[in-house]
Amino acid sequence: MSALLRADGLGKRFGGLRAVKQVSFELAAGEITGILGPNGAGKTTLFNLLTGFMAPDEGRVEFAGKVLTGLAPQRVVNLGLARTFQLCRPFVGMSVLENVMVGCLCPRVRADGGGAARAMELLRMVGLERKAQTPAQLLPYGDQRRLEIARALATRPRLLLLDEPFAGLGKAEIDPLSDLIRRLHAQEGLTLLIIEHKLREFMKLVTRVIAMDFGEVIAEGDPEGIVQDPRVIRAYIGGTEDAHGAA
Amino acid sequence: MTVRRDLVGAVLAVSILAVAPPLVGSSYLVGVLTVAVIYGLWAASWDFMSGLTGRENFGFALFIGAGAYTAGFLDTLAHLSPWWGLAAGMAAAALFSLLLGFPTLRLKGPYFALAMLSASAIMQRLMLIFWETTGGEEGLYGIAPLFSSPLAYYYFVLAATVASVAFLVMLARSPWGLILRAIRGDEATCLAAGIDVTFYKMVSLIISAAFGGLGGALYAHYQLQVSPQLFSVVTTITVIIMVYVGGMGSIYGALGGALLLTLLTELLRDFGQWRLLVYSLTLILILFFLPGGLVAPLWRRLRGGGGR
Amino acid sequence: MLEILLYGAVTSAIYALLAVGFTLIFGVARILNLAHGSFYALGAYATYVLSSTLHLPLALAAPLAVLCVAGFGVLLERVLVRPLRGSQIGVLMITLAASLVVEQVLLITFGSEYRNVPSFIDGKVAIGHVDIGGQRLLTLGVAVVALGALLLLIHRTRFGAAILAVSQDPEAAQYLGIPADRVFAQVMGLSAGLAALAAVLAAPFLTVQPGMGLLPMVKAFAIVIVGGLGSIPGSILGALLLGYSETIVAYLVSTSWTELVSLVAVLFTLVLRPAGLFGKRAAF
Ligand SMILES: Nc1ncnc2c1ncn2[C@@H]1O[C@H](COP(=O)(O)OP(=O)(O)OP(=O)(O)O)[C@@H](O)[C@H]1O
Ligand SMILES: [Mg+2]
Repeated sequence: MSALLRADGLGKRFGGLRAVKQVSFELAAGEITGILGPNGAGKTTLFNLLTGFMAPDEGRVEFAGKVLTGLAPQRVVNLGLARTFQLCRPFVGMSVLENVMVGCLCPRVRADGGGAARAMELLRMVGLERKAQTPAQLLPYGDQRRLEIARALATRPRLLLLDEPFAGLGKAEIDPLSDLIRRLHAQEGLTLLIIEHKLREFMKLVTRVIAMDFGEVIAEGDPEGIVQDPRVIRAYIGGTEDAHGAA
Repeated sequence: MTVRRDLVGAVLAVSILAVAPPLVGSSYLVGVLTVAVIYGLWAASWDFMSGLTGRENFGFALFIGAGAYTAGFLDTLAHLSPWWGLAAGMAAAALFSLLLGFPTLRLKGPYFALAMLSASAIMQRLMLIFWETTGGEEGLYGIAPLFSSPLAYYYFVLAATVASVAFLVMLARSPWGLILRAIRGDEATCLAAGIDVTFYKMVSLIISAAFGGLGGALYAHYQLQVSPQLFSVVTTITVIIMVYVGGMGSIYGALGGALLLTLLTELLRDFGQWRLLVYSLTLILILFFLPGGLVAPLWRRLRGGGGR
Repeated sequence: MLEILLYGAVTSAIYALLAVGFTLIFGVARILNLAHGSFYALGAYATYVLSSTLHLPLALAAPLAVLCVAGFGVLLERVLVRPLRGSQIGVLMITLAASLVVEQVLLITFGSEYRNVPSFIDGKVAIGHVDIGGQRLLTLGVAVVALGALLLLIHRTRFGAAILAVSQDPEAAQYLGIPADRVFAQVMGLSAGLAALAAVLAAPFLTVQPGMGLLPMVKAFAIVIVGGLGSIPGSILGALLLGYSETIVAYLVSTSWTELVSLVAVLFTLVLRPAGLFGKRAAF
């Protein structure tokens, strides 16, 4: 089976800083893959390159047999590759329901119709149905994360990129979110690529991990292997205590 | 439910506007109301793009002027039926918005505002530079009226405005309007939701410009002349102040704000030179004390229920 | 040729004074100040009132006018801009409203007719084969000195250090004990004073009427866009570029075409290089 997403030699510079260099990897359909790396490793930048929010200086991205490099972000979404943001960015001044409805209006799903009803269904899926009429910017942090996911799901992606979905969440919020991700994977057949720091939960969720440091892929493999990889441990020394906990 | 009350409110307001002139029986009032309603059309059109997407267009006068001059030229030079002027005025304004939108719409809010402001200021200049064709400071005059009776023209303007505003309100409450409000909220999130932000901003600018141009053409056929003053920042600012008084993003509020301000300042008509000063002070007061505006919030409270 | 060189330099000098103030308050406080043109108009009218109505000697009236306008700038920042500084559009609207109020007050007080502002130097000076008004040369000289002084102020004084710190990061500056709010007000005053200085110098050979601030504001904006918002060297270069282009257009085509130069400059820069011709630089 050929890969759903293929990144080939991606690179991005900011002035003198090479935020992403020579990153290549493949995702097979149906996988849940994690991206691991200390702060500033270039994970978010990699997401930006994959989703068209930034143009790579070098390399190319292929998704479902189409070349994405050079496409505008909304075109990428409409091909079925959606993302969430590390910092939640709901539409200010609009209700939670309206926030999700915007996603239902993208050309990829618009023709299917059922705007409000489908948006409500998505809210139910992420557990926000009772807050449908709340102004989005008033949601607590954990709910905003779920709203991000619901909005991304509204575009009916084949591949969903989540940028630190657990960041800032307490234990009580992490488990339902993990369950949601698993359910999406199992029931909807969604392929996922997840950036995360919270290793314990993360490692239980993903089937494969790509570790990054200083913009480069330093290791790749199954979760058990990756936390024992000396390069990964070195990248994390002085970093999060979680790394040792998980190992 | 709210929709029905909105309809009742609209019918009531339009009826008052329709019966006031014959009841009062003053030809002066007809003139005042004609101008007030045209300003209402401008304010609603401005609000459609700028109020919904949050991209404040400080060069709106350019579209008004484009509509007015196009109607004026068609009438005085080409001697076509003046009815063509209305369509051509809309088309010309739309064309200008297309040309200007490409370079300016990518810009962040304040830069967009100032770029458009520069464009309209320069357009006013161009009218003076090419005075041989444009009539310079005096502009074009001798434009034919569309109706012989001012009252009939007033009813025509009222009908055109009500139809346009109704169209804009419906569009603003449709998924289209939802997308425009989302653009106001956060452009990057819109892109992440698969929305072609540039396309929506562009088309709503074109729509806004087209109705502004229609208003310009209507104004030309009311004044029977057009002058470069139409392109001035003062025109834009007047319209913006009306929208602020009405409350941004509701469209009908803008129409209400325009009527309210025009009629109120008529009370000051013996102090004509104070008009703009009063407007600017009103704007300052609104910015400080009523950032949501006056008319639309008032109506929402009267009507009850949620929605816009 | 020499004529273009001289007149272009004078025009550029006036534009530079205007644009530098505009870019300064943007760079420090992220304020796009639409009332910047009012400072210019107020400077001219203040000189007019102080010298022609109150019969003060010009040598006294001119600096007094600059001070008054600077004070007005501080006041504007304190009273109107500061409460709305959270929203860029709010600032834009409030400064716009302020500029309208200024224009209308001038109109109501002085009427719409053109006013004459006295010049320091009446005669003409012959340079090579070119006769140029002494006031114009004075304008050029004073502007160069003022801009030099401004650069020294920013790079060599404690006040300048505070400006730089605040422009980089107002919050961090606050932690270092630099009162950001006060710096904003002071910079607004400085920016207003520079615009007023331009007006005091140029008013004798330009038209003084209530609406005189708008076009210079549009030009300051054009220059600052061309030079890169927030960069003083950029806006000086931008001023030279626009000043000379306008002068050349005035000579080759006609003076009524000069205003188009700024539009073309704005649109082209925005399309081709939104960060400005000279790219993004560190503040100032
Ligand atoms: N737009 C930008 N301009 C300049 N530098 C940037 C930009 N975006 C990111 N960087 C830099 O690139 C590097 C990688 O940043 P990135 O956000 O990709 O890291 P990350 O792995 O997502 O980190 P974190 O875990 O903190 O989210 C950092 O040094 C960052 O400062
Ligand atoms: Mg990141």
